[in-house]
Amino acid sequence: MAIENIKTTNGWADQDHVPGIKSELLELNMGPQHPATHGVLRLVLHTDGEIVYKVTPVMGYLHRCAEKIAEGVNYKQWVVYTDRFDYLSPMTCNHAYVTALEKVMQQEVPERAEHIRIVVSELSRMASHLIALATFGLDMGAWTPLLYCFREREVILDLLERISGGRMLYNYMVPGGVRYDIPKDNWASDVIEFITMIENKKLDDYNNLLSYNKIFIGRLANVAVIDEKTAYDYGCTGPVLRGAGVNFDCRKDDPYSLYHKFDFDIPVGKGEMGTVGDCWDRYIVRVREIEQSCRIIRQALESLPEGPYSAIELKKIVKAPAGAAYSRVESSKGELGHYIISDGGQTAFRNKVRSPSFCNLQVIEKVGVGQMVSDLVALIGSLDIVLGEIDR
Amino acid sequence: MDQKEIYELLAEKLGAAALGFNDEGVEAFADVEPGGIADACTFLRDDGRLAFDQLMCLSGIDWDGYDENGKGKSVKILGYTDEGQPETSDRVGEGDFGVVYSLYSHSLRHKFTLRVRTPRTTASVPTVSKIWSTAAWHEREAWDLVGINFEGHADLRRILLEEHWVGHPLRKDYQMPSQWENVPLNGQPYNENPFPKPEPTPDPTPDQPSGDDPAEG
Repeated sequence: MAIENIKTTNGWADQDHVPGIKSELLELNMGPQHPATHGVLRLVLHTDGEIVYKVTPVMGYLHRCAEKIAEGVNYKQWVVYTDRFDYLSPMTCNHAYVTALEKVMQQEVPERAEHIRIVVSELSRMASHLIALATFGLDMGAWTPLLYCFREREVILDLLERISGGRMLYNYMVPGGVRYDIPKDNWASDVIEFITMIENKKLDDYNNLLSYNKIFIGRLANVAVIDEKTAYDYGCTGPVLRGAGVNFDCRKDDPYSLYHKFDFDIPVGKGEMGTVGDCWDRYIVRVREIEQSCRIIRQALESLPEGPYSAIELKKIVKAPAGAAYSRVESSKGELGHYIISDGGQTAFRNKVRSPSFCNLQVIEKVGVGQMVSDLVALIGSLDIVLGEIDR
Repeated sequence: MDQKEIYELLAEKLGAAALGFNDEGVEAFADVEPGGIADACTFLRDDGRLAFDQLMCLSGIDWDGYDENGKGKSVKILGYTDEGQPETSDRVGEGDFGVVYSLYSHSLRHKFTLRVRTPRTTASVPTVSKIWSTAAWHEREAWDLVGINFEGHADLRRILLEEHWVGHPLRKDYQMPSQWENVPLNGQPYNENPFPKPEPTPDPTPDQPSGDDPAEG
C-alpha cells in the first residue's frame, strides 16, 4: 500500500502534530535478524515517531514446503518433519500428526502408549513455556530469568533424551503408539521428582523473579489488548485465546487421546493487572499452565497401565484407507491441526497443517496498529510464535 | 447439533447451491457450489442455531488424479532424479481444485466441514476473509501453494514463497526448479535414504603413533 493511502486509512493526516514541524511516515524494517522476533520474521513497520501505523509481517524464510514432501514420502517417514515445525515442543507436533493419521486410519492405540504420549507431550509443553517465559523476560530487559528457565528446561531435555534418544528433535511417536517404552532406569520416578521440584519451588521462583515484578507488570499491563471477539475472528488459539478470558482448551473441550481421564484446570486471563487480554494475561496463563501440566503428568504416570506400547510393529509400513479428516490437538502454542486426505496408499494425497503460530501472528496486523515500537516487541513476545511452524 | 441436521438447515437456506452431503467416511462433509460459499459461510456464522464463530482450517487442494479406489496409485508427483536433477513430464494436470473449510462453534461445540470444487481452468472461489479475518492468510497460502484465486480478497499476495516465484508447488504437475537465483538445487529423490551407510573404515594398525605423541606438539 502506498504511504498516501496509509495516511488516510489510519487517519494519520488528521492527527495533532506539533505546529510548524513537518513530519512524515517512516518505513522501517524490523528483522529478519532481530532478537525480539523469535526467529527469522520480518516486520515492515510504518511509523510516525514511536507510533506504529501499519504492520506487515513478511515470512517464509524457513519455508521448506513440508506439505509437498508429505506427498512424496510415506506416512511414517513424515513424522520426522513434524518435529521441525515447532522445534521448541516437538512432542506435541508428533502427537498432532499421529492423532490425525490414526483418525484417518481408524487405528486404535494401546492405553499405555497414550499415557506415555501424554507424559512426553506435557513435558514438551513445559519446556516450550519455559522458553516463552525466558525469552519474554529477555525482550522486556530481564536477563536472569532466562538462565533460571533454561536450567529447568535442560532437565526436561535430558529426560526426553533418555526416553527417545534425541535431545531436541525426537521423532518419537509412530502411528499406533510410540517408538520406545519407558526406560527401566527409574525414568518415571525421576520425572515425578522433577515436577515436584517445579511445583514446590521453581514456579514460586519465576513468580517472584518475573511475574509479579513491578517493572515487568508496568511494562505489560494494559498493553496490546486482544479481546474475545478479535481472538475468535482471527482464529487465535492457545494461551492467546485463553489470555483473552476464553475458557477453551482442546484437551478439555474437544478431547483427544486420554485427556478426559485426567483432572486439571484451564487457566484463563482475568485482567488481574489491568485489562483482560493484555500482554500480562497471556504471559501468566503460560506460567499457570506449567503447573497444570505437572498435575497431568503426575496422574498419567501414577495410573500408567501395563501392556504394549505400540499397536503396529515398528518396521511395518502403514497404509490408510481412502478418506479425509481434520484433527487437532492443543500444542504449546495453540490449536495444531492436520487435514489429511488419503487415497488408500502409504502416502498422503494431501496433508495440510494448520499451525497455531500462523494464525496467532496474523492478529498483529490489527492489534499492532497504534502501539509504540517497544510495545510491539512485548506483543510479539506474548504471542510466543515459532517460525518453524509458520513457514513450514 | 448433528452433522445431518446442520446440512439440512444449510440446504434449506442455499437451495440449489447445496450440492450434497456425505457422511460415509471418517468425517462428514457437505459439498457447496463455489458461488454460494460466501452465503453459506455467512449463514453458518450468523444463524443462532449454528454460530460457527471459528474457521479452524482452510485447505487448498489439487484433486488432480485423485482416485479413491486407486489404493495409492492416484498420481505420482514430480521430485528429483538420482542425479539431483528435476524430474520432468509432459503430463498436464487435470481435475478440479478444491477448498475445504473446517468450522467450529465455540458456543455450541459442534464442527462442520464444507467443500467446494472449482474447475482447473477458472480456479477461482469467492473469499471468506470478510466473514472470518483468519481466512485472509489461509487464502493467501492457498493462492501461493496451490494457485487458487480468491475473488474479492483485499490483499492476495504470495505469503510463504518469494513474490517472483514461478508456479504453485502443491499442484500435482508442478516441476521442481533446477536452480533459484543462480544457486543450483540438487534435490534428493523421495523415499530414498539420503544418508547411505558409510564404507567401513579399516582398523588402525597398532604400529601407528597415537595422537598424543609429544614429537607432534
